[in-house]
Amino acid sequence: MLQKLEKLISSVELKLSTVNDNKELEEVRIEFLGRKGQLPALTSEMRDLTSEERPAAGKALNQTKQKISSLFSEAEGKLSDLKGSDSTSGIDVTLPGRKQNLGSKHPITKIIDECSRVFRRMGFVVADGPEIETVYNNFDALNTPKDHPSRDELDTFYFDDGRLLRTQTSPVQIRIMENNEPPIRIVAPGRCFRRDTPDATHSMNFHQIEGLYIDKDVSLADLKSVLITFAHELFGPDVKIRLRPHFFPFTEPSVEYDFSCIMCKGKGCNVCKNSGWLEIAGAGMVDPEVLQNVGYDPEIWSGFAFGMGIERIAMIKYRVNDIRLLYENDIRFLKQF
Amino acid sequence: MKISLNWLSEYLKTPYSPTELADKLTMAGIEVEDIEESGSDIPDGVVIAEILERNSHPDAEKLSVCRVSTGTEEVQIVCGAPNCDAGVKAPLATIGTVFEDPDNGKKFKIKKSKLRGIESFGMLCSTKELGLPGDPSGIMHLAKDAKLGKKFKETLDSDTVYEVEITPNRPDWLSHWGVARDLAALTGLKPSFPKITVPSPAKKAEAGLVTVEDSELCPRYTARIIRGVKVTESPEWMQKHLSSIGLRPINNIVDITNFVLMELGHPLHAFDLNLLEGKKIIVRRATDKEKIITLDGKEQELNSSNLVICDASKPMALAGIMGGEHSGVTEETIDILLESAVFNPSNIRASSRDLKIMSDSSFRFERGVDWEMCKTASDRATALILELAGGTLETELVDVKKSAPISPPVKCRFEKIRKLLGCKVTDKEIVAIFAGLGLGVSDISDLGCVVTPPSYRLDIYREADLAEEVARIYGLNNIEPAPVRAISGGNIASDSYYKLEEIGNQIISFGLNECMNYSLIHKDRALVDAKFAESDMKKLKNPLSLELAYLRPSLLAQMLETVERNISRQNANLALFETGRVYCENSKLFPEERLEACIILTGLKNSERFSAEKKQTYDFFDLKGIVENFFEMRKMNCVIRKLDNTSKASANFANESAAEIVVNGKVIGEMGEIADRLTKGMRITHSLFAATIQLDTLISTPATKIRFKQIPQQPGTSRDVAFIADTSLEHGTIMRTILSSKLPNLESVELFDVFEDEKAIGKGKKSMAYSLKFRNSERTLTDKEVNQAHEKLRAKLAKVLNIELR
Repeated sequence: MLQKLEKLISSVELKLSTVNDNKELEEVRIEFLGRKGQLPALTSEMRDLTSEERPAAGKALNQTKQKISSLFSEAEGKLSDLKGSDSTSGIDVTLPGRKQNLGSKHPITKIIDECSRVFRRMGFVVADGPEIETVYNNFDALNTPKDHPSRDELDTFYFDDGRLLRTQTSPVQIRIMENNEPPIRIVAPGRCFRRDTPDATHSMNFHQIEGLYIDKDVSLADLKSVLITFAHELFGPDVKIRLRPHFFPFTEPSVEYDFSCIMCKGKGCNVCKNSGWLEIAGAGMVDPEVLQNVGYDPEIWSGFAFGMGIERIAMIKYRVNDIRLLYENDIRFLKQF
Repeated sequence: MKISLNWLSEYLKTPYSPTELADKLTMAGIEVEDIEESGSDIPDGVVIAEILERNSHPDAEKLSVCRVSTGTEEVQIVCGAPNCDAGVKAPLATIGTVFEDPDNGKKFKIKKSKLRGIESFGMLCSTKELGLPGDPSGIMHLAKDAKLGKKFKETLDSDTVYEVEITPNRPDWLSHWGVARDLAALTGLKPSFPKITVPSPAKKAEAGLVTVEDSELCPRYTARIIRGVKVTESPEWMQKHLSSIGLRPINNIVDITNFVLMELGHPLHAFDLNLLEGKKIIVRRATDKEKIITLDGKEQELNSSNLVICDASKPMALAGIMGGEHSGVTEETIDILLESAVFNPSNIRASSRDLKIMSDSSFRFERGVDWEMCKTASDRATALILELAGGTLETELVDVKKSAPISPPVKCRFEKIRKLLGCKVTDKEIVAIFAGLGLGVSDISDLGCVVTPPSYRLDIYREADLAEEVARIYGLNNIEPAPVRAISGGNIASDSYYKLEEIGNQIISFGLNECMNYSLIHKDRALVDAKFAESDMKKLKNPLSLELAYLRPSLLAQMLETVERNISRQNANLALFETGRVYCENSKLFPEERLEACIILTGLKNSERFSAEKKQTYDFFDLKGIVENFFEMRKMNCVIRKLDNTSKASANFANESAAEIVVNGKVIGEMGEIADRLTKGMRITHSLFAATIQLDTLISTPATKIRFKQIPQQPGTSRDVAFIADTSLEHGTIMRTILSSKLPNLESVELFDVFEDEKAIGKGKKSMAYSLKFRNSERTLTDKEVNQAHEKLRAKLAKVLNIELR
C-alpha cells in the first residue's frame, strides 16, 4: 500500500511537470483525483486491509493526499505566473468594486447636526417651535417697536388671520420661557422666512440657530466662552472671535460677533472684504423687557441669547458661493457632502 | 451713511491711520462696511481737457461731436452727455486708458472707436466712470482754472470715505459731529466745534409767522427770516465735503442746509419766503385727498395722517420728509425762511412708508432728533448763510414749542453692571466712562450713581443701557471669557432635534441623498399631489410673487421637480429624500404643520458597475425594501398593503402600485410608482418610485426597547411547499393563511421562488414555493411531527386558496 502511494506521488509529479495550461492541469486532476481517479481507487482499497494495517495506511494516505494537493497548487501557481494577470481563471482586481450608493445629508442639515452636537456638549438642549407664528411671539414679546420696519408686509409674510411665517427662530425663546422656569439652556435650529427676492446671498426661506441661557448671574463673559467654544469646535482652534457693539430690540447690551476669516486667517481677502473678519451673527444679554414679558424677574434672572444663519455658516465652511445652490438639489452638489 | 475722514478731522484730529480709525469706529458700534480712498483707483490716462466746440451728431440725436483740447493736442470726441458744452473743462480718458470695474475686476480699455459713423478718440467722464461721488447724469464739470493736460487724479484731494452702518438706536451718530463726539469718548481726545456767532437782531419776531396746529406731531418748530441773500455757488470747501459723501452741490443756501444736516444730523429746510402765500407757516395735518407735488416732481395724494408745512393756503412741504416742488430756494430767491423743527418719529416713519419717499431728512426724523440740536442747527446754518450768501437776519428766532422732553435720570448699581458684563471694571472706571460720554453723573456712592443722559442720547433710559455703554467703552474684547458652566439644560428625551437627526442618519444609510426645497410653492405645482385640494393649502396674504403664494402641503411635488431638474442636467440616476415641514389649512387632513419624509428613486441602481448589473433599474421593491428596512432599524413593525383605489392618494401612483405604509395599525404613508399624470411634460427617462412617510408619530413614539432573545440551541428542520396558483393570488394572502394556521413549532416562512411560464404551467398561473422552518427551543423535533404539520398546512392551503399543490 505504502509503495503504491509513493508511486502515485511520483507519477503525479511527472505528469504535472509536463502540464502547459489549465486544461491539461484539469485533465491530470481528473486522472488522479476525479471520481474514478487513482487516489479514490487507492482509498477504496483501504477496505481490504486488516485492522492492524489500517492505521498506518490511513496516515500515509492522508499525507499523500496533502502532498498531491500541494503539488497541484504549486503547478497552478506556476501556470498563473507564466500568464500573469491575463489568466482567465484569476481576478482583475482593478475592475470597479460593487459599491453601495453612499447616502448624504444636505449641507444645511449637516451644519444643524454639527451645531446641535457642539451645543449639546455644553449642556444645551435642542428645542423647537412652529414656523407659523403669532405676531406676539415673533415681534411683541421680543420688544420689537410697534412701527419697526421688519414688521412691514414688505419684509414679513403674513396670513389673512394676522399670523405670520416666523422671521427668526427667536419666538422659540418666548415659547420655552413662557412654559418653563429657569434655569434654561436651549438652542433652537429651524427654518425662517423673509420676504427677500432670491439672489446669491438671499433666500425666501433660510435657517437659523438660536441659543438662550437664563440663570442667576449669567454674564457677557459667559456668552463669550460659549461662542469661543462653538467657533473652535466648528472651524478649529485657530479661529479667533471678536464682539462688536450692536443693536437688537431683544438684547441689551447687544453685540455682533465675528470669526476671524477662515480663508485668509485674518489677513484680508475677497470673502471677508479685506477686513479679516467674517460676520457670523448677533447676540447679547436678554433685554429686561423680554424677561418681564415672559414673567421672569430681571432682578433675579439674567441671560444671554444668540442667533446665527445656518446657510452662512454652511457657505463659509464648505466654500459655497451662491445660496441658491443649496436649494437646487443637483445630485452632483449633494453627493459632495 | 458716508463719513468723510477729512470732514471728521475738522472736529476731532486723531493720531490713527484711516484703517486704525475704521477699526476703532467698528469696535465702538459704528460698523465700517467699506473704506474708499477717493480717486486712488482713477487711471493715469484720465487728464483734464477743455471742450472747444460742440456740434450735434448728424445721425444721432443724443450724441454730440466735440473738439476737445488737452493743452498739447486736440482730439475729436463723441459724447452722449447732455452737458458737454463748449468752454467746459472735464476729465478725459485718453486712448489706452484702462478702467477696472471695482465690482468684478473686469478691465475695460479706451480705444479709438466709431460711434454711428463718427470717430471718437477717448471718453469724457462722468463721476460714475471715475468711481467718484456726485451727480452721474452728465460729464463732470471741473473748475475753470483747472490746468489742462494734468493727470486728473493729482487734482483730487486725498480723502478717506467710510461707509458705515448706524444702528437704529443711535440717531445721534447720523452726522460727522455726532461720530466725532462719540469717538472722543472712546479715544479720550477732545473734540472741537467751530464757534457759532449769530447776530441778535433788534426786531421781535412777528406774531403769527408760525402756527403749529398739531403739537403732538410737531413739538417744536423754529423759523428765521433772512432777507437779501445772494444765491450762488457754495464755496469749494463745502462742495468738496458734500461731494465726498455723494451729495451734489446745488447752490449755497441748499448746500448749507445739507451741510448742516450732515454736520450736526439735524434736517433743515429753506423756503423762498416770497413763494409763501401770506408769508406765514402753518403746520397741520393734511386734509383727505389733499395734493402736493414734491421736489422729485411726483404728485402725492395725502390724508389726515400726513403732516404738512403750509403757507396761508396750501401745503409747501411734507413735514420732515421732502419739500414741495415750488417751495425751495432758486437763483431768483432773495428772502428765505429757514425751518428747523422736531417732528414725531412714528408719524414721519408712517408717512414716509405710506408715501414711499425716503430722504436723508425722514431717515433722521423717524429715528428721533435731538431737541437741543434743533436750535443749534438753525444757529449754525444762519451763521453760514450770513457769511456765505450775505443778507440780514430780520428777526430773532421764532420758536414754537412744547416743553422740552425730560431725560429721566437712570440709577446705576456698579455691582449689577459688573454682573451683567462679567468683568472687573471698577466703580471709578464706570463713572469715568459715563463722564467721558457726556452723561451727567451724580449721587456717586459705594453702591452706584445716578446718570442723566444728554438730550441726544435717546437710547439711555435703563440700567441695561448703561451696561451697554460701559461694555462699549471698556471694550467688549477686554472682557475675559468665563469657563463654560457645567449644567444640563434638560434630558435627551426632551431634545426635539435628536430623533430627527437619527432618522436622517438612518435614511442616508440606504444610500439616499438628502435634498432641501423651499416651503413656498406654486399652487398648480402643489396640486400635482392628488391628496390635496386648493382649499387645503395655506395661502400667504402678501406673497413675493403669485408663483410662490402657497405653503407646500406635501414634499412630493417639489421632489418631482428636483428629479426633473437633475434629469435636465443629465443626472438620470437618483435616490433622493427630503425631510421637512409641510403645512395645511384643513385641520381634518392634518393640523397646520407636520414633519414629513419623501423618498424618490429613479434610473439605474448600479450606474458605476458594468454589463448586466449596470442595466438594473430601480423598481418598486427597491423602494419597499428601503421603507421596510427603515422601520426595522427603528424596531417598528411595518406593513405595506394595497391602497384602496378610491383613496385620493392612489391617484398619485401608476399600475395598481399604490400602497400604504401601516405602522402600529396606523397609516403613516403611501408609496408606489409615480403615475404619468404627475410627470406630464417632464423629461423622465425611467419610472419614478416614491414614498411619503409622516414623521411626527415616529418622533413622538418612544424607542422600542430591545430585549435579548435566546439563540436557539436545538437544530431546526425545513420543509418546502410548492404550488401553482392564479397570478392574482397575493403573497400577503398566502403568508396570512400560513401564519393563521398556527402550526406548532413553525419558526419562519420564506418565499424562495416565483415564476410564470405559459407553456409549462398555463396562462394566468404562477408557480410559488415557500420554505418553512420548524424548531422547538427545548428539544429536537421528530420527522413525524414535522411531517404532520407540513401535511396539515398543505391541506389547508389547497382548501382555502384554490391552488394546485406540486
